Amino acid sequence: MAADEGWFDRFVDAVPRHRLFKHVASWTLVPFWARWTPVKPLPGGPRPAMQPGDNIQCMMNLIMPLKIKSPIGRAEAALAIAQNKDAIYAGLNNVGTVHFARFVIVGDNICMFSVYDGDFTNYIRDFIATIGEVFNEVVKLVEGGEKVTPCEKNVEAFIQWVHERDLYQVPDTATDFLRDQEALSGDKAASPVNDDLTLLPRRLVLQLRANANVSLGSGYRAYPGFSVAQVRKQLGIGW
Amino acid sequence: MVDASVAKRLVEAIIANLPAPVPGERPVHTIGVGVKGRFVASDVARTYCIAEHFKGEPIPVSVRFSNGLGGLEQHDGWSDVRGMATRFHLPDGTATDLIATTLGEFFVRNVEDFFEFARVAKLEPYRRQSPWRKIWDILQLKVPARNPYPKETENVNAGALRYANRHRFAQLGVFQAAVIGAPVSYVRASYHAVHTFVVTGPDGTRRPVRFSWQPVAGVRNIAPTAVSHDKYLREELENRLRRRRPARFMLMMTIGEADDALEDPTKPWPATRVRIVMGTLTLTEVPKDQEAAGRRISFNPCRLAPGIEASGDPILEARLGAYEVSREMRGGCPFRWS
Repeated sequence: MAADEGWFDRFVDAVPRHRLFKHVASWTLVPFWARWTPVKPLPGGPRPAMQPGDNIQCMMNLIMPLKIKSPIGRAEAALAIAQNKDAIYAGLNNVGTVHFARFVIVGDNICMFSVYDGDFTNYIRDFIATIGEVFNEVVKLVEGGEKVTPCEKNVEAFIQWVHERDLYQVPDTATDFLRDQEALSGDKAASPVNDDLTLLPRRLVLQLRANANVSLGSGYRAYPGFSVAQVRKQLGIGW
Repeated sequence: MVDASVAKRLVEAIIANLPAPVPGERPVHTIGVGVKGRFVASDVARTYCIAEHFKGEPIPVSVRFSNGLGGLEQHDGWSDVRGMATRFHLPDGTATDLIATTLGEFFVRNVEDFFEFARVAKLEPYRRQSPWRKIWDILQLKVPARNPYPKETENVNAGALRYANRHRFAQLGVFQAAVIGAPVSYVRASYHAVHTFVVTGPDGTRRPVRFSWQPVAGVRNIAPTAVSHDKYLREELENRLRRRRPARFMLMMTIGEADDALEDPTKPWPATRVRIVMGTLTLTEVPKDQEAAGRRISFNPCRLAPGIEASGDPILEARLGAYEVSREMRGGCPFRWS
């Protein structure tokens, strides 16, 4: 304990870590600053690919709220997947660019997490072409799903619908996150600027208010930079 | 190549910003410990780079771990960038160096940026903020400035922040340095060589790469709220090696793509880049003769074996000359292969 540190110093130092403060701040400070310095929701999905390697092992994190928010609704969603498992697997094999894919129920949401190669739009088009019927079965259970089904007849609308439900991927670095916010506002300045890095915590809190569900970072990859085709060829298991 | 006068000015700019520069010592990374070990390349390393130490034979190494701050006051427990300078002693009597720090990205792009940074980020008094100022920060959803460490009376934090607020390219490096913390052990931190190098494979393919050391024991920092201790890192390393606890690093080499930031040390590469395990470094002892083991070794990021070249990164180019100037000033061994 420093000699110049009094009880009030220690009290104030402890405040940000205290649970009560975090609760009170969530109900008071956060809404205040959200009105005073609003942030827009950031779009989901991977960043635009600049290099060939950016189109390999892309992450998709779809969160789709169910219409029926109850165990019955969740059971319906689980059945829709289970009853179509063969179709899903056949479709994914035919798409040929999916490293991993799984459906997960979290609360009253049916989620799909996958890792794929190539462009997002082409990825969804391939899915529609190979397992469009399965998607229709699942999407009709989801809020807003009726607007885009059958997906084979509403391809562009369906692609946009999926994109809107794909989570924002928070960049690997805190400062790249600031760049994402700035880009959304049309701010692409480099130097000199008049930023305030000490505002980063507030900007992060407000962004997580606007984007309640996010994917944190680009994700770990054991063998980055290799496509499904390359991995399967290297392992001698056909593609 | 940066000319000698610029290199001298670079070193002088660093020294001018030190609380108490010490003649005969490194101006920064003054406090350190030399360690002996060996490096064994992985079975794939030679397919990417023809350099001697990637051929697979065990290669003796000298490693110097260090604290980033300059001066003889040791503050292991302060939040600070750490260094890991490695010299691979090659079978033909020559050597090649790999200099890495816990800071993944640098905070300036070139020499001109660095001179401006040195002008702006000067040592300034650092005191505990008043609780009212902290309350005001909390109400703005900011994190109040940390309290000074015991005996900490000045630092460059305010100036570095001012510089980063003006220049977005500096923000990642400054932010990372501000939150870097103190490792529980020198061998429980990741170290990054930051700059891009170009490696040549046996078929002549040249690839832009960045190197990192990944600790096999894992990364772990001291809790930020824990009491700061000034001297523990060297003792921890000596005890660790005496008890044969893990003291190994994997050398990871990330291969860049054509339009990645090949010559800009302020920009990271995406995590989707191919990553090669080039080999394993095993530390074996902290020699009693620290002069020979680390203090007198004049590491240089451009001392590179055939098969590895420096990229056009202007900071890497500048470091070649700056390290030589610093070496001359403290009487270290001159730049040559041995």
